[in-house]
Amino acid sequence: MTLDPWVVLDNWPLFLEGAWLTVRIAAAAFVGGLILGTVIAALHSTPVALVRWLVVVYLAVMRGVPFIIILFLVHFGLPFLGLRVPALATGVIALTLFASAYYAEVIRATALALPRGQWESARAIGMSPWEAARYVIGPQILAPAIPPITNYTMTMIKESSVLSAITVGELTYQGLIVQGNTFAPFEVFFAVAGIYWIITAGFARAARLLENRQRGAVPEGITGQGIAARYLSLEAARR
Amino acid sequence: MTHDPPPALRVQGLTLRYGSVRALDELYFDVAPGEVVALVGPSGCGKTSLLRCLTWLQQPTGGLIEIAGAPLGQERLPSGAIRRQSRRHIDRLRHRIGLVFQSLNLWPHLTARENVELPQRVVLGRSRTDARVRADAILDRLRVLELAEKVPGQLSGGQKQRVAIARALAMDPALMLFDEPTSSLDAELIQEVLSVLRGLAESGTTMLVVTHEIGFARHVAHRLLFMDQGRIVADGPPAQVIDHDPHPRVREFFDTVLAFRA
Ligand SMILES: Nc1ncnc2c1ncn2[C@@H]1O[C@H](COP(=O)(O)OP(=O)(O)O)[C@@H](O)[C@H]1O
Ligand SMILES: [Mg+2]
Repeated sequence: MTLDPWVVLDNWPLFLEGAWLTVRIAAAAFVGGLILGTVIAALHSTPVALVRWLVVVYLAVMRGVPFIIILFLVHFGLPFLGLRVPALATGVIALTLFASAYYAEVIRATALALPRGQWESARAIGMSPWEAARYVIGPQILAPAIPPITNYTMTMIKESSVLSAITVGELTYQGLIVQGNTFAPFEVFFAVAGIYWIITAGFARAARLLENRQRGAVPEGITGQGIAARYLSLEAARR
Repeated sequence: MTHDPPPALRVQGLTLRYGSVRALDELYFDVAPGEVVALVGPSGCGKTSLLRCLTWLQQPTGGLIEIAGAPLGQERLPSGAIRRQSRRHIDRLRHRIGLVFQSLNLWPHLTARENVELPQRVVLGRSRTDARVRADAILDRLRVLELAEKVPGQLSGGQKQRVAIARALAMDPALMLFDEPTSSLDAELIQEVLSVLRGLAESGTTMLVVTHEIGFARHVAHRLLFMDQGRIVADGPPAQVIDHDPHPRVREFFDTVLAFRA
């Protein structure tokens, strides 16, 4: 078997278009997922039992159901509710929901890993829950949350390939089109795989740079702590 | 006609149960402005639980708390009914009590100065300049101003203790609460921290101090409360309680401590 590089080179505009759309979809789901995930993590500890229960159900569904089912629910469900939105929009919404559940769990877990007294000292001195989260807890979980957030984001980027099933013209979809025209599956999907690798590896690299900067900014004793740090650190995972 | 100022703290029937455990059992006491009260008692008698209820970190099962005349947590309506205050209202009253935790709980991502500035700005709405001036004045008074730029991880136990005290004092509380401020320190630092507390006492700061330091209770406190199994079993001038209170639990406690000392 020989690989014919011209299959890829001749079709580079399609690959590029697909890759660029994948990056934009992932970026939107990343930002949206972080915002929604933060809100969900906060709601997880509200005193209102009904809200807490809804959050638990939301997390269970988002994490327990295959992403393609969530995607189909949003894509085929929204029109039923009278909302006509393009496939790209439903795809981004589904991916945002999916990512938000994992981000919420990370935010919650890193916040709970802080000593309880951090929260209590902020509250006892008069800060509201929101102020305590904003000024005392938030800044302390930034650094330890980066590695797990990065891992889930890499999964999410790869999962965005499922959007090809609802005809969103992202990287996998473009790959399918080229494959249909050329009947050269190895060339096409090796190229697609390589581009996914470049995107996820690039993201991980950026996250590692940010993590190192944060680590420098945060004093010894928070992130530098034994097993937790080793478990959470990207650097350690690489070794 | 002048009114007496309200007590800095008034506790009426304060009760806290954990399941069947009565951590606090119908406590009644006042702390007058400027008074320094030592709270003493065997481990597990409810001292920490009391401080947690007074700051509403722990919601008591029953009873009323007043800080400088203002009800905290629950209040008695003119009709006599007891009403639970809104969370917002409770949050806004909390800065009237300064709590220094046993574990201090300084915020490790902020410098000493920022630890003292932040709650002033967020909770009291003071300007950056005002908060800074106040923070520096208090850090200076506690002789840690030269450490203002350091983060807690770079400070010794005694220095952290002072910064934690400064953080609470900067809020101008009506009452300061200390939970075993010397328990985690070695002998030299204990004297250092006790002298800080003595300084606060002499400048008229109202304090309720959980302590096992009999010397501090005897020589600095104006009054000693002795707790046992969630109740106050002795309340009086420190020397009187330490040397002469007849309650068997009180005698047992101090006789052991004093014998150990001798
Ligand atoms: N969160 C809790 N749940 C159940 N019991 C508790 C809890 N906290 C404290 N207690 C119990 O309440 C009692 C008083 O504890 P505490 O206030 O910590 O005592 P002290 O500070 O005087 O040593 C003890 O019997 C303790 O076991
Ligand atoms: Mg205790």
